[in-house]
Amino acid sequence: MRITHILLAALAGLSLAAGASEPPAAAPAAPAAAAAPAAPAKMLSSTADHSKFKELQQSFKSGPEVTKACLSCHTEAAKQIHKTKHWTWEWVNPENNQKLGKKNVINNFCTATASNEKFCSSCHVGYGMENAKTFDYTSETNVDCLVCHDTTGAYKKLPGLAGHPTYKDIEFPPGSGKIAKAVDLPKIAQAVGKTSRDTCGACHFFGGGGDAVKHGDLDSSLKKPAKYLDVHMDAKGLNFSCATCHATQGHNIPGSRYTPTGKAEDAAHMRGKENKGNPASCQSCHGSAPHKAKERLNSHTDKIACQTCHVPQFARAQPTKMTWDWSTAGKLTPDGKRMKIPDASGHHDKYDSIKGNFTYESDVVPEYAWLNGKVKYTLLGDPVNTQGVTKINEYGGSPTDGQSRIWPLKVFRGKQPYDLETKSLLVPHTAVGYGEKDDSGFWANYKWDAALKAGAAAAGQPFSGKFDFVSTEMSWPITHMVAPKADALTCTQCHAKNGRLASIKGVYMPRRDANGMLDIIGWLLAAATLAGVLIHGGLRTYLGRKG
Amino acid sequence: MLKIVGSFVLGIVFTGVLGWNMMGGMMFHEHLSPFGVEETVARIQHNIEAAGNGWSLSGLRNPAAAVKADGGNALPVMMVEACSTKYSGPILNEDSVRFLSILMPCKISVYKKNDGKTYIGAMNAGLLGPMFGPLVGDIMSKVAADQAKFIIMDPSKPTPQIIYPKAAGGGGGGGGGGSGC
Repeated sequence: MRITHILLAALAGLSLAAGASEPPAAAPAAPAAAAAPAAPAKMLSSTADHSKFKELQQSFKSGPEVTKACLSCHTEAAKQIHKTKHWTWEWVNPENNQKLGKKNVINNFCTATASNEKFCSSCHVGYGMENAKTFDYTSETNVDCLVCHDTTGAYKKLPGLAGHPTYKDIEFPPGSGKIAKAVDLPKIAQAVGKTSRDTCGACHFFGGGGDAVKHGDLDSSLKKPAKYLDVHMDAKGLNFSCATCHATQGHNIPGSRYTPTGKAEDAAHMRGKENKGNPASCQSCHGSAPHKAKERLNSHTDKIACQTCHVPQFARAQPTKMTWDWSTAGKLTPDGKRMKIPDASGHHDKYDSIKGNFTYESDVVPEYAWLNGKVKYTLLGDPVNTQGVTKINEYGGSPTDGQSRIWPLKVFRGKQPYDLETKSLLVPHTAVGYGEKDDSGFWANYKWDAALKAGAAAAGQPFSGKFDFVSTEMSWPITHMVAPKADALTCTQCHAKNGRLASIKGVYMPRRDANGMLDIIGWLLAAATLAGVLIHGGLRTYLGRKG
Repeated sequence: MLKIVGSFVLGIVFTGVLGWNMMGGMMFHEHLSPFGVEETVARIQHNIEAAGNGWSLSGLRNPAAAVKADGGNALPVMMVEACSTKYSGPILNEDSVRFLSILMPCKISVYKKNDGKTYIGAMNAGLLGPMFGPLVGDIMSKVAADQAKFIIMDPSKPTPQIIYPKAAGGGGGGGGGGSGC
């Protein structure tokens, strides 16, 4: 009975403790509406107030007109942009000569840009990209300065407008009854400034067709993150912008998933000292021996990426999409209309006629793999694995190459169309330009044949007319959403039989790789040693007393 | 004689140590869920609503949200609270066992572990009940039988949606009222 009472007391204590601290699971409470004191006037951190520039005091009618004004002072900016992946949507991997970039790769989200450019180019830093093959990449005035340098938050590029913002009030999405207002170009142009989490995030938080869909460690919660979500971007703390780490030179932004740094150099970067290493690595600031109080942890940095311990989970503020099955797309309501079925949370769809089935997950425990920075893609024309899973991208890495560390990954799994004869992936033509009628767009007519035929034609790929769906997976190294150090992985989360790194091969990990028999022998030896010491000591004491 | 007493004492100590070590595991049980946290919660909630015997939802708590609000991180944990006045009434009307109200409402915890999988944790009502006499033992055995139904995860059934509690009020334990527990 006493044990029972003790147990109950403990249970009650736990229950009270939990009840006292936790909020109900209802929708998050609104912040307290306390009266805030009037903010003091802010001094511009820039030495230029763009609202005072005569060049920008015009009634701009289009984005290119704004760019022309920008370039009248920033004469080299467009030339610099022209050399970046943000502009060319193309990059040749020197390791294997694969042509990558948005113009060439295929993924297992919305698949690819070919035939869908008018829609996809709302995230291109250029105006008028209706077709990636025919777009004028030499035009300087087609560079969109505002998409990165807007500080008002009012500059929006809507899908379907080929990279333009809307210059007049339009109904968007078409048929929705909602009106998207024309952007106020003079106001936005006169308020340009440094890039911010908002401007980078306008594309990178919404990759894959929506908020938190693609990356898992990049979503709109990082616009104003709390410390628990990211210690560097913490809006009330260090408040890093993206460019704080992705330090730009001549508009070229380091830190690409096409060229990830598997194993960053050891020393922290120093001002004034030339360093060709990636400034967007942890080591570029922290070095490779950052653990001052727990020296033992520094012995891990040679094999384990910082992110492995310091990003214990991703998608910690909102769920990220984890699977996407295109094969079920196209089911309609009995009266032939698009249908959506919400998931258990009620906040996301688990089915949408235009896209198929999805799953979302929050606080995702990453998968882990050796990563040395080399990557090979399955591109259009490459064979798929019809008997198993086709890896859209495959990162290189091994425990013995001296270039790898163990990295956390988001592995996105799906099913997508491939050609039954060529055995290679297909691009569906999905989206239709704003106000256009296009019977081949899948999101308009739900006909796979027409969509795949149009997609293949735009991509310059053969299409036999016979298709099926193949399982694919795509890996995304996780590097953002760095948690406070108190929330880093503990030793036992990896050093355990079924710990986080259970699947990692090629490295000995105490406890995970423990041998039961060896442990027993060890303990017996320790016990024998202890017994020997006790017997020896006891005998000496006994014999000493005996004289 | 000394040997007998010694062996007896050793036996008691051994049993005590064994019992102490096993007690935690016996008082609660844990099951792997084939679904994610949200879907598991939603299915449990709908099972509770369909269980009859006076069961109703009395709250849904998210202790991990409190940790996040405090600047830390915790893997998802959601606690489904349910109550049946048919079972709670007799206990609350009996002075000698009224202290068991600290175990009310009945809670089922759904959480994710470091292996990325979702688990369901619940109190072993069938084992705990008899410790408090026949009245509680009888009630808790029925609670245990119902509890087993709450955690049935039937993939053939369509995904239900989480029932978020309404604004706290009445006796909902902070997670939304309704059941009167």
